Amino acid sequence: MRGGAWVEAVPEETLSREEAQWVIRRLLKLLRPQRRAIAFVTVVLIAQVGTLLAGPWLVKYGIDQGLDDNDPGALNFAAACYLVMALLGLFLGRAAILLVARIGERFLEDLRNRLFKHLMSLSLDYYEGEKTGRIVARMTSDIDSLQELISQGLVLFVQNILLFVGSVVIIFLLSWQLALGVLVLVPPVYLASRWFRTRSNKAYLEVRDRIATNMSTLQESLEGVRVVQAFGREGSFTRQFGDTNEAQFEANLETVRISSRYFPIVEFTGVAGTAVIIGYGGWLSAEGVVTVGTVAAFVLYLNSLFEPVQQLSQLYNTVQSAGAAMQKIFGVLDTKPTVRERPGAVDLERAGAIEVDDVTFAYLSQPVLSDVSLSIAAGERIALVGPTGAGKSTLAKLIARFYDPGSGAILVDGVDLRDATMQSLRERIVVVPQEGFVFAGTLYDNVRVGRPEATDDEVEAALSALGLLERFRAFPEGLSTEVRERGSRLSAGERQLVSLARAALADPSILVLDEATSNLDPGTEAQVEAALERLMQGRTAVVVAHRLSTAARADRIAVVYDGRLAELGTHAELVVQEGHYAALYAAWSSHQAQPDVA
Amino acid sequence: MLGVVAGVIWTVARVSIPAITGEAIDEGVIPGDESVALEWTAILLTAGLIQAVMTGLRRYSAFRLALRVETDLRMRLVAHLQRLHFAFHDRAQTGQLMAHANTDIQQIHMVVLLIPLTIASVLTMVAVIVILVLRSPGLAFFALVSLPILNIAATRFTHKMHPVGLALQEELADLSGVVEESVTGVRVVKGFGAERMQERRLQAEASDVYGRSIEMARLRANFLPLIDLLPTLGLVGILWYGGHQVLDGNLTVGDIVAANFYVLMLIWPLRMVGMLLGQLSRAAASAGRVNAILATDPAIHDDKNAHELAPGPGEVRFDGVTFGYGGGRPVLDGLDLVIRGGEAVALVGATASGKSTVARLIPRFYDVDSGRVSIDGCDVHETRLRDVRRSVGLVFEDTFLFSDTVRSNIAFADTGAPFESVLRAARLAGADEFISDLPDGYDTVIGEHGYSLSGGQRQRIAIARAVLADPRILILDDATSSVDPTKEHEIRNALREVMEGRTTIIIAHRPATIALADRVVLLDGGKIVADGTHDRLLETSAPYREVLARAEIEDLSDTLAEPA
Repeated sequence: MRGGAWVEAVPEETLSREEAQWVIRRLLKLLRPQRRAIAFVTVVLIAQVGTLLAGPWLVKYGIDQGLDDNDPGALNFAAACYLVMALLGLFLGRAAILLVARIGERFLEDLRNRLFKHLMSLSLDYYEGEKTGRIVARMTSDIDSLQELISQGLVLFVQNILLFVGSVVIIFLLSWQLALGVLVLVPPVYLASRWFRTRSNKAYLEVRDRIATNMSTLQESLEGVRVVQAFGREGSFTRQFGDTNEAQFEANLETVRISSRYFPIVEFTGVAGTAVIIGYGGWLSAEGVVTVGTVAAFVLYLNSLFEPVQQLSQLYNTVQSAGAAMQKIFGVLDTKPTVRERPGAVDLERAGAIEVDDVTFAYLSQPVLSDVSLSIAAGERIALVGPTGAGKSTLAKLIARFYDPGSGAILVDGVDLRDATMQSLRERIVVVPQEGFVFAGTLYDNVRVGRPEATDDEVEAALSALGLLERFRAFPEGLSTEVRERGSRLSAGERQLVSLARAALADPSILVLDEATSNLDPGTEAQVEAALERLMQGRTAVVVAHRLSTAARADRIAVVYDGRLAELGTHAELVVQEGHYAALYAAWSSHQAQPDVA
Repeated sequence: MLGVVAGVIWTVARVSIPAITGEAIDEGVIPGDESVALEWTAILLTAGLIQAVMTGLRRYSAFRLALRVETDLRMRLVAHLQRLHFAFHDRAQTGQLMAHANTDIQQIHMVVLLIPLTIASVLTMVAVIVILVLRSPGLAFFALVSLPILNIAATRFTHKMHPVGLALQEELADLSGVVEESVTGVRVVKGFGAERMQERRLQAEASDVYGRSIEMARLRANFLPLIDLLPTLGLVGILWYGGHQVLDGNLTVGDIVAANFYVLMLIWPLRMVGMLLGQLSRAAASAGRVNAILATDPAIHDDKNAHELAPGPGEVRFDGVTFGYGGGRPVLDGLDLVIRGGEAVALVGATASGKSTVARLIPRFYDVDSGRVSIDGCDVHETRLRDVRRSVGLVFEDTFLFSDTVRSNIAFADTGAPFESVLRAARLAGADEFISDLPDGYDTVIGEHGYSLSGGQRQRIAIARAVLADPRILILDDATSSVDPTKEHEIRNALREVMEGRTTIIIAHRPATIALADRVVLLDGGKIVADGTHDRLLETSAPYREVLARAEIEDLSDTLAEPA
């Protein structure tokens, strides 16, 4: 039953006592649905450990009854029982592994689904406040660290505890005097294991640190190899790497030094245990207090006393990592979404008139919008214009109810967005983001994001409405073409087209468009423009404009400056006003003035 | 070697312990002879002490050796990678190279580690078998018969686990993909209310993971209890057969206890051998990959008779140069070009016209397929690489700065350069002002983990870096493309400064930048199609106008001018 991984996961954070208790309590609650299965498995494990513990006892019986009393029958009986126990142990062991796996994996699957569902319910502010990598880590590396514990650690953990406790009980039953003599050696093993654990954890963290430094030196020198060679710096970079490389060696060697001190202690204690049994046990036997068989049994039980202590010490790391991971996961599960549906919510109408009523909004105590009021008629196309950070994107997000205003309200067709059902909200108001984001799957699947229940025909109809059907059919497998993750098979322009098709499929009454800033090839650019025009037909459109040419074509322009609505009017009206818009327009058009070269 | 000796002594001590125990029981415990028992106890403790000390020594030597091998190999690999030519690095991805330096070398480390430990295990096995057989062949048989099966089972187990393990990794990767997508594209997901769709996708992936994990558990359930059972069968055999032998007077109780011990002692070595075999094949594959890199000769190196670079004004000549990347389709086709010392030439052309390639051939990052490139009359192929590189200052299209101080970055070409030179270079490049405004001035750490600079600032530092060593030739490869056009004029001023009196080659497509040059060369399909001043070419060359126009459309920025 020797474990012993060469490379262990070293926990970076350890839980305090209260934290650990809190995590365990929450964990138990999650496990409640499976409590019957858990109880059953515990029984199986106890029985299995029982078969293991029976062995030395049967040897004692065989020696005392069989050999001492010269009774071959008893010997045969002992051997037969031993065999039965061993086979029983095989079946019980098999059952235990399968049952624990089923319980554990079921738990993990449920946790994954539950956590993901919760993540999806969280509002945008959560995602903007956290790094993508960390959020993803909750669902992946944190849950994966639980997997290790569950697949192997859990069974070993329980078995070792049962084994240790069982052995202690039995040796006490056999002879409390000898048992005491032997148990004296257990604390040193325990202490040595604990010392080893703490010291080597620290040393491994140092190793990890130095590996990271070493690898980052290497990565940089590889990424910049052209610069290095261009300036003839190969030699010095190699030397620099040499230093961090040696540092890594030293750190690793330190861990070796530590383990080279630990293992001898453990090995010696094992032998010392045997020595105690022979010496003390021999004396007790001479005094007639114990039998020879008992002495022999003790020698064999020694293994199941010391091994579990070491194994449990090894498991300590796995358990700590898992505990820390669970804590983070519970942290996410406890976060509440800020934008939620109220009870008694009503569906939004289809007309598409927007009323921004005296809205103020602050993000992380920084004011972003103050007292903004704006009326947008159904079917109107309005452009939001203003310098970066002025608040135009935020206003668009508020209209789409990604955030709720701090004060004031946003009404669509007379209904406050906070009183609307989330479903109808998403159906009536659709956001087309700056960059087309494409998921792994077919083109059909990607457009279907707009309305998941849509049929393939409906997808094609949406594409056709924008004049895009032919272009997409031209792909190698037409609309069934698989698009790889992040849409790497599509150009930026094509990704935009998919984005627009989604919006068309969703058939909203209000479009919130964050204009694309990346430059597309002229061919696709034209198609995107055309598709956009068709999409905006008959719908209210709020366009966060980055190009003044787009703004000029809108029905009205709203200039957002320093968190306030500074100017509002048509292009012609604003140009004459000589305000912000006029100034922007003048600067932009002079930059555009170049000799016509085409 | 100390490790080997320690290993042998350790084995001897270890193997003697069960025998000593057996004797102690027979001579001391059973007859009830206290003093004898204590004698044997003392011997036992001595053996234990020797074993313990030797274990420390042998482990330390084995690990140290493996670490040393690993560290040295990694050093060799990295040193070699630094010297390999551009063409190699064009093909290899940084990520892959990192994997070689990391994972592959780790595999080799494991093997080197396992070998001495396995040798000790094998010695143990042999010793135990010999001892048991000598004592009683019958007992040896019953004790050991099930053990070869253990070895086979352990090996088969590892063998079968491997593909399932990989499959599980893949499923986890798929799941991770859905999560990553959903989080990165959360605006789209929320914007379209597509949360349920993503949840369904995740459920499918989670279910796949469940399936694979259960598969792995099934494998474990089939093998691990069996692996635990086999030694136990041996113990049963010892009790039964050994017991009867004791009754017949052929063996003693001590023998039985010792035999028990020996069987238990064999479990770990048996599994170890199985591990080694698995590890050997993985390590062999890794060693193959590492070796492939080490065996690659740097294609660009000094000829035996490489001579110094002759002094000169920095004249660059291309004589009938033909070149294709990786020996493929020629990007340059019989190119003839002369750039006089001190002249500023702009190379213009559509993508893949060959302009960047010209820039890369001058410092000899690649060797030409035919023809010659020369600097001041010296063929770069025959000249000392160090001299060639030092004579050319390069500003790449994508500025790469290292995680180091501003000063070190600028002084990159010459680490011993006095601060005066750094200052001078920075001033020339128009970077001195903003650098002085940084939190620690020239000692501010920049790069990935350091202070964030804007594109224009980085470019100016790169320009300073390029001119520090006062190269006779300056190559600016699209040095302004990543810069905000409204800031570009700042760079242009800096460029004008550094170009004074230096042969300069500018690769650009913005008319304002091209205007810095005395002469424009238009490339198409690897040949020169037009050569003259910017204005003349605008008038006379339609292709030239086309290239500029297309470049401008690409460039049409979306900046909203900040209100005055």
